[in-house]
Amino acid sequence: MEKENKAKEGIKGWINPAKYGKFGIERFAWILMRITGLGLLAYFIGHIYETSHILDGKAVWDASLELTQTTEGHIFLALVIGMCVFHTGNGIRLMLGQMGYGLGKPGRPDYPYKPQSLNMKGKACIYATIGLAALAMWYGMAVMFG
Amino acid sequence: MMLMRESIVMKIHYGTAIGAVFLTVIHILMRMTQDFHESLEYENVIANYEMIGYAIMLELLLILISVHGFNGLRIILLEMKQGPSYEKAVTYGCIASMAILIAYGSRTIIMTSMGMT
Repeated sequence: MEKENKAKEGIKGWINPAKYGKFGIERFAWILMRITGLGLLAYFIGHIYETSHILDGKAVWDASLELTQTTEGHIFLALVIGMCVFHTGNGIRLMLGQMGYGLGKPGRPDYPYKPQSLNMKGKACIYATIGLAALAMWYGMAVMFG
Repeated sequence: MMLMRESIVMKIHYGTAIGAVFLTVIHILMRMTQDFHESLEYENVIANYEMIGYAIMLELLLILISVHGFNGLRIILLEMKQGPSYEKAVTYGCIASMAILIAYGSRTIIMTSMGMT
């Protein structure tokens, strides 16, 4: 059996700044999708553990809730909101892309070989998603600090 | 290592994503029915769990996010490295972690909704 090729760069490939300059905002969205996904999974596991304290009575529940009722806790939750909105928005863009929407028509591959799929519609969606995430974080902060 | 065709897995990934977004919105809106801090008070949270419809929704949300989250983790880990034994370990590890998290979360939902606090 032929030896399978490995993605040799691994996590180094994620954080290599040269890739961002070369591939632009799409690369940034790619890495942010993975970072927010991992962040949200970590938050979800913590949330399940935190909410299980309800079984230990009011005193334990109040004590665990106090962790998020601080300024740092509110900032952390605002970050979670931002991650959630970006992951959702970018996920919808990717799903639509996989269904063939917004990819443009296939064209002859002429120099400088710009792929039709990485077009302005996609870029605008990524910027809009980042903007929406920032707005949601701001609203979340207003609710939590208000 | 293949338990299921990858195209089917991706359909499940997208389906769970759409379902999770919809239910998360409802979950957050429940916090907005009253003051945010008040809604998190012990008595209010217990009252939320005791609403059977809401408890079922939380259970569904737990399953959808767990499936989506651990499949996402599996995809990320398989993007980084490939190989038969590695892929097997990642797939079974993610399935086991998902099952443990669902079981742990379900315990909270079931016990609280039945008044076993």
